[in-house]
Amino acid sequence: MSLRFTKLALGAALGSLFSGALLASDLVITFDDLNPDKKAAYEAAVDAFKKANPDINVVANNGDREAHKDTIRNALQNDAPDVITWYPGNRMGPFVDAGLFMDISDLWSSDPNLSSKFNAIKPTMSRDGKQWGVPYSYYQWGVYYRKDIYDKLELSEPSNWAELLGNCDTLKEAGVTPFTIGTQYLWTAAGVFDYLNLRTNGYDVHNDLTAGKIKYTDPRIRDTFAKWEEMLDRCSFVSTHATMDWQAAISPFAKGDAAMYVMGNFSVGQYKDAGLTDDQIDFFQFPEITPGVPRAEEAPADAFFIPANAKNVENAKKFLAFIATPEIQGDWNKAIGQLPPNSDAEINTDDKFIVEGMATLSTAAGLAQFYDRDAPAAMAKAGMEGFQKFMLDPSTLDEVLEGLDKVQAEVY
Amino acid sequence: MSTDVTGSNNRFDTSVTQLVIGGVVLALCVYMLIFVINTTMVQEFYGYSRQINARVPTFFIRMGLLLVALASGFFCITGHSYYKRNKLAVAPWLFLAIGLAFFLVYVIVPIFQSISYSFTKWNGLYDINGVWTGEWVGLHNYRVLWEDPNFWTSLKNNLIWLVLFMLAVPIGLFIALFLNQTVTGIRIYKSLFFFPFVISQVVVGLIFSWAYNPEFGLLSEVWGWFFCEMKENIVGNLTRVCSVEPPSILGDAKMATYGIIAAGIWPQIAYCMILYLTGLNNVSSDQIEAGQLDGAKGWKMLWHVVLPQLKPATFIAIVVTVIGALRSFDMIATMTQGGPYGSTNVLAYYMYEQAVGEGVGRYGYGSAIATVLFLIMLVYISYFLWRMYQDEKEGG
Repeated sequence: MSLRFTKLALGAALGSLFSGALLASDLVITFDDLNPDKKAAYEAAVDAFKKANPDINVVANNGDREAHKDTIRNALQNDAPDVITWYPGNRMGPFVDAGLFMDISDLWSSDPNLSSKFNAIKPTMSRDGKQWGVPYSYYQWGVYYRKDIYDKLELSEPSNWAELLGNCDTLKEAGVTPFTIGTQYLWTAAGVFDYLNLRTNGYDVHNDLTAGKIKYTDPRIRDTFAKWEEMLDRCSFVSTHATMDWQAAISPFAKGDAAMYVMGNFSVGQYKDAGLTDDQIDFFQFPEITPGVPRAEEAPADAFFIPANAKNVENAKKFLAFIATPEIQGDWNKAIGQLPPNSDAEINTDDKFIVEGMATLSTAAGLAQFYDRDAPAAMAKAGMEGFQKFMLDPSTLDEVLEGLDKVQAEVY
Repeated sequence: MSTDVTGSNNRFDTSVTQLVIGGVVLALCVYMLIFVINTTMVQEFYGYSRQINARVPTFFIRMGLLLVALASGFFCITGHSYYKRNKLAVAPWLFLAIGLAFFLVYVIVPIFQSISYSFTKWNGLYDINGVWTGEWVGLHNYRVLWEDPNFWTSLKNNLIWLVLFMLAVPIGLFIALFLNQTVTGIRIYKSLFFFPFVISQVVVGLIFSWAYNPEFGLLSEVWGWFFCEMKENIVGNLTRVCSVEPPSILGDAKMATYGIIAAGIWPQIAYCMILYLTGLNNVSSDQIEAGQLDGAKGWKMLWHVVLPQLKPATFIAIVVTVIGALRSFDMIATMTQGGPYGSTNVLAYYMYEQAVGEGVGRYGYGSAIATVLFLIMLVYISYFLWRMYQDEKEGG
């Protein structure tokens, strides 16, 4: 009697457990930023999604950004969430090629937002003619400079290469190092290289180089390095850059020992933390080098993807469509001080850097992701080491370029 | 189970029952381990707490099953009459079995796996069906390695590490000799000298990279007394202007490796010192006295009387120093990450960077570096084992 009862109860319990699991529709999201403002913006978007879809049981995970770069491999292959963050451009390449990300071209063509409001960034999200993810944020790169120093020396924002070099001469005469940079973690040097290359040769050469179609010893790339040598010579960078990370490099900038910084917009908060005010800092686009080359910009994006192993694909697509809406894109990026990829989304008009960034990017002829996201990781690592070596000793140029050609032949 | 070994009538029966029960449980466990327990099942079972918690229960369930499998395996074996007849010979192997199994799975198999990966081009991914995405390229990785200047830099740095790290042995010896006296508070001095070995390598690395920092480090402060003065800059802040720039030790490819080695050798000296201090406790005073009577003093005493008695300590000190030099990974990771431009890489770090680090994902190439490192280690370890064997033969 009692045994039968137990069995019954157990059966009922198990039954309810499994039927419960079947009825509830789930959505598991994996995000990768624990910085307080980024985390809050993500959680706000998830809450809004929950409110709009009360029938979906959302499990929102978040983790450290660097650790995510390692764990995503496991996550995609073993227990995949339904939505996961990753980088577009070539960084998504290995996962797309291995079939670990889901093709969401249908969503891009049917969704009213994705099909018409994301044209600027669509190429970045595409590979093999298909779209693989939905971007939630991006930001501009450019030159941040000390406006007070510029005013004191009666300099103005340079619009071409000669003016930039002229400004550098004046700054050096006044005892100010023109540029600060911290190359300990290498990628900052890639920002400078990308801009020199985009302005000397244009967007297509940038893409061909990072796609392995142009050699590093190509005369066009040599031109870029010649400009860089000129820059090193006349616009010298702070001498100790190899031992500083990008945050440490802010210190000479904040002190007034250095006047300019080629950086991404995420750095503005740090300038302000270092005691600088909106009146002391300003932004200009990296000036033109070869006249007539259409102005392309660096604009790294962060995006959501659906793993091929996702279990709740419909819900995942619902979520991606949701974060593509102008309201969510606007709120999210206002909260984190970046730019919404949706061209209809509102921006924070009180922030002059955001306003200027929006103007810069919406008129750009092309958007590059960044050297280390456009090039495969193995190439990027070698390339950026080469840039650092060249910055420390420009006479090693030939050695560096030939070495990079070898790596290029190996990687692609 | 019957403990009566010498024989009872139902011995055959017990062992058969035991064998059958044990065998069935074992087979069941192995079957569950391989085919049934997977993350999906556990996820279903745990319903909403998926994703975060799924790995943990799977792990515990697997470990539990493994333990049950092992226990039933033992149960099986101990019931067998062969075991009962050969208890003394078999029992040690039973105890060793678990350790050996783990050693096999986590050390021996991976060694061969990574050697086999070194002949492939692979980015570390399996596709959606779990199919391996790499391709066989034969000796290609080794050919690339041969022409890779970064590889030769790493190998050269490994040698520099080995040679310079050996300085820790004599320096440790002299500090030990110096501290081997009875003065009030000598224990405090000994502890202070031993201190660097107690703190983590990462902390040592950080302290040294701060000290080396050309902007605010200890070294540049001292430098500033001689070559620099404070001036007001354009916006009225005080800033330091130097007639000769302070050296940027970790930013200069020529000095960076030596800078890291100097940091690494500091705790190593402490380690050698403590080895010699314990060794000196065992130096027989009779022999010292005998030496004194024969007129030995200073260096002669040290060389002919004390050092031979310290031979075991020297041997261990050299061994741990070589190992310390070869596993210099964490110092490099904290101080320079192999930079500037790869000039402070050693093989271990270069391997990590190419395969796992920063998503570079050249697993085949990384494995080729690992294989070369493995061969180098193998030579050293073989020599070490051979020496041990020779010493045992002499001693025994």
